[in-house]
Amino acid sequence: MSGQYIAFFILSLLTISGAIFMISFNRVIHMVVALAFTFLSIAGLFILLEAEFVGLTQIMVYSGGVSVLMLFGIMLTQHSKVERSEQKPALRIFTFAGILAFFVAVFYGIQKTPWSQEAVDYSTQNNVKEIGVQLYNNYVIPFELVSVLLLVALIGGIIMAKKEADDE
Amino acid sequence: MNGDSKWGVLGQYDWSIMAPELTILVFATLLSIIDLLLPKKTDRRIIGVLGLIGVIISLIFTLSNTGTQPASILADMYRLDSFAVAFKAIFLTGVAFAFLMSLGTLDKKDVHYQGEFYYLLLTALLGAMFMASSADLITLFIGLELLSLSSFILVGIRKKHIQSNESAFKYVVIGSISAAVTLYGMSFIYGLTGTTNLYLIAERLGNVYQGGFSYIVYLAFFLMFVGLSFKISAVPNQTWAPDVYQGAPTPVTAFLSVVSKAAGFAIILRIFIIMLSNVIDIDPTTGEMKSLLVDNLGLYIGIVAAASMIIGNTMALRQVNMKRMMAYSGIAQAGYLLVPFATFTVLLFEQTLFYLIAYLFANMGIFAIMALVSKDQGHDEIRGFAGLFQRAPLLAISMTIFLLSLAGIPVTAGFFGKFYIFLSSVARQNYWLAGIMMATSVVSYVYYFGVMKQMFMRTNPNGVNKIKVPPCIGIALVVAVVVTLFAGIFPSQVIDYLHNNFLFENMMQVAEQVVMK
Repeated sequence: MSGQYIAFFILSLLTISGAIFMISFNRVIHMVVALAFTFLSIAGLFILLEAEFVGLTQIMVYSGGVSVLMLFGIMLTQHSKVERSEQKPALRIFTFAGILAFFVAVFYGIQKTPWSQEAVDYSTQNNVKEIGVQLYNNYVIPFELVSVLLLVALIGGIIMAKKEADDE
Repeated sequence: MNGDSKWGVLGQYDWSIMAPELTILVFATLLSIIDLLLPKKTDRRIIGVLGLIGVIISLIFTLSNTGTQPASILADMYRLDSFAVAFKAIFLTGVAFAFLMSLGTLDKKDVHYQGEFYYLLLTALLGAMFMASSADLITLFIGLELLSLSSFILVGIRKKHIQSNESAFKYVVIGSISAAVTLYGMSFIYGLTGTTNLYLIAERLGNVYQGGFSYIVYLAFFLMFVGLSFKISAVPNQTWAPDVYQGAPTPVTAFLSVVSKAAGFAIILRIFIIMLSNVIDIDPTTGEMKSLLVDNLGLYIGIVAAASMIIGNTMALRQVNMKRMMAYSGIAQAGYLLVPFATFTVLLFEQTLFYLIAYLFANMGIFAIMALVSKDQGHDEIRGFAGLFQRAPLLAISMTIFLLSLAGIPVTAGFFGKFYIFLSSVARQNYWLAGIMMATSVVSYVYYFGVMKQMFMRTNPNGVNKIKVPPCIGIALVVAVVVTLFAGIFPSQVIDYLHNNFLFENMMQVAEQVVMK
């Protein structure tokens, strides 16, 4: 059992348990903490896969940005206990069966498929440089399109959040 | 000659083939700045008029590319072929209708952010256009997200309207989940082939499929198909449609039901037809070779089509709200539109295009009239149409034409659209699908005729005052009626035009990289 395997085990356990706690906690602040655990562990998984740039982006964007944004959201809104509406048992069973079937389908597929046993070695490449070159050459059209997407998100956020003055 | 320009590789491409998209982008940005600079009291319809001009310029650019050889920028990151031109023309026409409708009926009290409304429609259009004219999974997905995000906001733009808020929230939740599912499917494809370019994927996926990864290919197909079915509101992902259609302002509903749905079909056809074109399934016992897409997956797509037709048409029977009825009708229409894809023939492209054109004009016409009637009545119920024939005979007659076209009655475009689809289903001996199509069409007559009954045989309790038709809606209705009738009376002309100018093979050809001379 290599160190990598142990690290993978711990990180994936943290990812999954963070996600589960996220949906089962009652207080918003606890949810955010659980979610931050998930995000950080995913970043760890990326670094384990030698995708250190994606890992760091994950930390900056999600663990940093999103968690802080959520905390702000909590501070600016009511943070009393979330009321849970009782689900119908039939619906619960139905949902659970659907999730189970999906899990079985994916798990069976992963087990059955003859994956290549050799790991790909990217350690000689400079990840960040390659990403930069690709992004500003081949992928410049989607890159520019994303900036339009962000503009739309910004305008939309303002429209949704702005309090309207009724003086018009 | 331009090889060592300071722009590097990017300077070598002829970016003028991107003119339609660039026009929309320039207009969207300019309009947002104009909106900022205009005094608060100014009527924001001026922005709508400018936006409409932008859409028309872009439509001219698009149509001027009809019949050209396929061209691409940056290895199919942007791709111009007949498939892209045809779909973009449909989107642009649909958005032009949505603009005319908004200019005629949008109420300042209802939609506070009028300026934003118009340029968000343009950015949504930009996303749809990229969904039609790219052959790279990343660009396609970002186009999809741009369309989704803009429509989320457009749906929720009636902020003081509780139903609008609810529907926007539902739309965001279901939209994000389906985007995640799509992306999960795409990630498998990228993992198997190591590229996001659809043509390279097609080259490599055949071997991958034979090399023991067939289960994963199936899994990826189903994930992507389920995720993308959100955009066309077909069965596994149709539940959002009635609520969202009901809550959104009517021009946005029309946009969602036509442009967004057509964009969904564009991305589905583009991705799956190219991606799976080389995947061949060899029967282990008989050694028979079958195309995975045409022979194996057709059954599943057929099941989705049949389920959409059945659920859409039967649920529509019970609706009293016109928008909800149109939502279920739209689910059923998505089912019909999937039939040519399920029964794959060489005519697939023409059948889909013809049906989409018929659907576009009929649906846009219905929503334009609905916008007028619900503004007059103050609600969207079907009973609001009561006595429309006495109040505005021309509106009632054009509404009848559109309803007949959707129902698929002769002399309208919808009849031939359905007929062509039906033929391919019979030709591929897929009788069960053809049978379901027939049966559900008959069911659909009940609710389409229900609206007509209201218009011609009931009288309106609120009196028989005339409805004033604003000129922009009048133009839209005249165009819609003329096209619906023309394509219904001379279908062969339309089909010939589509057949000669929009070659299906064009989509599979390797595009030359356009280089500046």
